[in-house]
Amino acid sequence: MITRRRTLALLASAALPGKSLAKAADSPFLKDQLAAGTMPDLAQRLPRSPRVIDLGAMGRTPGRQGGTLRMLIGGQRDVRYIPIHSYARLVGYDQDLNLGPDILDSYTVDEGRIFTFHLRDGHKWSDGSDFTSDDFAYYWNDVVMNTSLRRGGPPMDLKVNGVVAKFEVLDRLTVRYSWDVPAPHFLPRLADPIPQPLMLPAAYMRQFHANHQKPDILAELCERHRVTTWARLHKKMSRQNRPENPDLPTLGPWLPKTAPPAEQFVFERNPFYHRVDENGTQLPYVDRVVLNVSSTEIITAKTATGESDLQATGIGFPDYTLLKEAESRYPMKVSLWRRTQGSSVTLLPNLNYKDDVWRGLFQDVRVRRALSLAINRTEINKVIYYGLGRESADTVLPESPLFKPEYAAAWASHDPDQANALLDAAGLQNRDIYGRRLLPDGRPAHITIESSGESTLETDVLELITDHYRAVGLSLFTRVSQRDIFRSRATGGEVMMSVWQGLDNGVPTADMPPTQLAPSSDDQLQWPVWGMYYMSAKTSGKAPDHSKVLELVSLLGDWKQTKTAEERARIWDDMLAIRADQVFSIGTVNGALQPIVRSSRLRNVPDEALYGFKPTSYLGVYLPDTFWYEEEP
Amino acid sequence: MSAYLPKPGAPLDHFVSDTPFDPDATENNAEQRAVAAQASQLKLMWWHFRRHKMALWSGIFLIVIYFTILISEFLAPYDLHSRNTDFLYAPPQAVHIFRDGQLVRPYTYGRDVTLDMVTLKWNYADDPTDIQPLRFFCHGDRYEFWGLFKADLHLVCPAEGGQLFLLGTDRLGRDVLSRTIYGARISLTIGILGVMMSFVLGIIIGGLAGYHGGVFDLIVQRVIEVLQSIPSIPMWMALAAIIPVTWSPILVYIGITIVLGMLDWTGLARAVRSKLLALREEDYVLAAQLMGAKSSRIIGRHLIPGFMSHLIASATLTIPGMILGETALSFLGIGLRAPITSWGILLTEARSVNIIALYPWLLFPVVPVILVILAFNFLGDGLRDAADPYK
Repeated sequence: MITRRRTLALLASAALPGKSLAKAADSPFLKDQLAAGTMPDLAQRLPRSPRVIDLGAMGRTPGRQGGTLRMLIGGQRDVRYIPIHSYARLVGYDQDLNLGPDILDSYTVDEGRIFTFHLRDGHKWSDGSDFTSDDFAYYWNDVVMNTSLRRGGPPMDLKVNGVVAKFEVLDRLTVRYSWDVPAPHFLPRLADPIPQPLMLPAAYMRQFHANHQKPDILAELCERHRVTTWARLHKKMSRQNRPENPDLPTLGPWLPKTAPPAEQFVFERNPFYHRVDENGTQLPYVDRVVLNVSSTEIITAKTATGESDLQATGIGFPDYTLLKEAESRYPMKVSLWRRTQGSSVTLLPNLNYKDDVWRGLFQDVRVRRALSLAINRTEINKVIYYGLGRESADTVLPESPLFKPEYAAAWASHDPDQANALLDAAGLQNRDIYGRRLLPDGRPAHITIESSGESTLETDVLELITDHYRAVGLSLFTRVSQRDIFRSRATGGEVMMSVWQGLDNGVPTADMPPTQLAPSSDDQLQWPVWGMYYMSAKTSGKAPDHSKVLELVSLLGDWKQTKTAEERARIWDDMLAIRADQVFSIGTVNGALQPIVRSSRLRNVPDEALYGFKPTSYLGVYLPDTFWYEEEP
Repeated sequence: MSAYLPKPGAPLDHFVSDTPFDPDATENNAEQRAVAAQASQLKLMWWHFRRHKMALWSGIFLIVIYFTILISEFLAPYDLHSRNTDFLYAPPQAVHIFRDGQLVRPYTYGRDVTLDMVTLKWNYADDPTDIQPLRFFCHGDRYEFWGLFKADLHLVCPAEGGQLFLLGTDRLGRDVLSRTIYGARISLTIGILGVMMSFVLGIIIGGLAGYHGGVFDLIVQRVIEVLQSIPSIPMWMALAAIIPVTWSPILVYIGITIVLGMLDWTGLARAVRSKLLALREEDYVLAAQLMGAKSSRIIGRHLIPGFMSHLIASATLTIPGMILGETALSFLGIGLRAPITSWGILLTEARSVNIIALYPWLLFPVVPVILVILAFNFLGDGLRDAADPYK
């Protein structure tokens, strides 16, 4: 290994000063294709100005190409983790959550409303075809604006105040999106784990589009792919979130080679990938990623027997001891990262619950505060998290620049006396002979809390909270239902209280939209009906009638008009303060730990980092394409 | 070879009785016959039954176990829900009776708890200097005996300020032994109650169908066929889902019992029906009918006793199915729910791979399940053999 690394280093040192980064040795994986002449040289495959990842500056070491990364997934649909982990985006966050260009060569923002994107010259899709503004134009004209493909019109994220962006092609490598008003959410939306797409490989996709293909050929294709309309065919063939079509060219580091159904999904390196390390070696380092489908329950067991080279999904904190003990038996290493959720187990009283009495109570801030004060977070932290979590309300983490200690401490101490006093004041003062509180209309105050039952952690925390609530005269019953059923019942206002994770993104910067703090989606279980109202652009659901919630909605609206970072930070502050004071979600412990298992030969995986869907895109911002294998000893 | 045989005519070298051999001696013994003839059917069954040693011991075992559920609160060292958060995942503790070569009052060692910060595992080490003698008939966790009156007497308690986790603790620091003892109350009674229910349903419906026949029989048969063709697990799930969450644990328990009973009566009803179809042709039934007996009297007084023993045996064999049914339902998370505790619930909590690898004592409730199921099977076997003593 040393010799090879040294060779590479020598090559690189020779290559670095000049602009000819592409002189680095080409991947041995492509040797046969290169020899046969079916694959162009590295210099022709890379963009003229590739994205150079300076691993040395990141405190990592540049490595060598090769090897296969095995991962375990819980079902075929979980191939969707690959685009999330690999995190090739037009713009993306780096490790410190600063936004920067990735696939784009550069971008400019004028007046917060005009976004000009510059592509890399010579950038190619994974099939070798050019990646140009034509691909953006195709997506815009033939997908976004096509009424057959998008019945509901252009996506919400491309609209501001209901007005869709203006799209212009400036030249072969430059496109522009602009609105009349600022659109601060636009770039962060492109950096999401599941981004708003803006382009498709036009050369490939045109064959599935009615505007570019003869109807009889299209009909034949529909039949071959077993779909009824060309719109479905187009959707099926262009799915980028779930790489199920091996023929769809991509810009990501690994290409799918397997179409479902399969028990094993193989991804191979993209020879046209746009990132290189400081030595000019093309990324990704790892040649192949192999996803093995197994059942969710045994992912832990398989990981603990060394069957995965990099595992983060499907394992949880309770599995840590088992995994750590397996370290001595298998060549693997386990590290603990911090999860980014605002609270790892959160109680969400449904402010839209169908029962009038309960809805009234949950909309009463005293009840929500009492429910929060009654919880003994210290016990939860000690029993469930070995004291390693942080007792906190459901708010941002200390890692976020927006954090303030008072948010975390708001109504989060254990104070049963105050909780009792608040509940008495809120009209729950009557009790039955067992000391259980009665509702104003005489019914016993039974709270039914619904859980998807997916983690034993949740069940255990609930068990502790049940006792805490009993001490203030409330009885808590848990009902477990399957995730989808649970969500659909919640949307219908049939769930009284649910247990879920806290804020999706606990480490936001002011530039990330505070969407999660105000009603904006029907999966916000504390106000699903209000969330539905805004998600559906006021076509379904109900408008909120709660003054503090309306305040959040208007602040979110204000944020979308902002031009400067200071304004954004101020709005974030206001919203977080309202959330903390109003306790719309009842947090327990945050900063919970997530075990990350890797092969002990795999280098460049950070030992400590943040783990979450947003904003880190699971492993995404830590650049799994820069992980590499040491040679076997 | 021939060396072993005496010479022809020579006396044998062992004793041979010259009393004439009567192969029918037992049957012809008037005294014994008189006893057998006078003994009640129950007594004959008992004679027959006690020859089946396995069944006998199984029966005794079950009686003991069922007796314990009457006094679970007293037997368990801790309350069902008491959590000891200083002792999470504590392994089983040994009880010592010798100290310095002397037989002393049973004691346990105190334990030092440390958290291994690398593997995040709780380590327990016995502290030989900290002797904790057990207390008997002592005052410990408070409980409400049968929900009727408050008490705190326990058979055995740890020393003051000490611990006694004979089977270890779970992830919330709850004593596994105590929970298993309490769990028996639910798991064992659910089988008996479920069988009783299916018994009543089976005898009434099967009896009427078999005795009267005709349209009623036809309908019952079709209903049974439909019920039996429904896959049992989804059916359980559907019925269990009907039970509202806000029901108190006792109501849920009764609900689950009814669910189990409702699905189980069909087999018994068929057995009763077919037996009755045969028996109703007997002369004594005709005699009873001629004397004007009602059908309920004929079924209850004349027909059912004729095969009651068979019914009891088959019921005994059904109970394990019920217990397993409850365990399976709870294991799948659709049966009983915490805070009610049954063996099925305990096993549900122990189903992750972590438990098997690191905390195997949480699987202990499997042991009583296996023992009870085996005991019921042996008992049922013995009862079936004994059921027909005249054979």
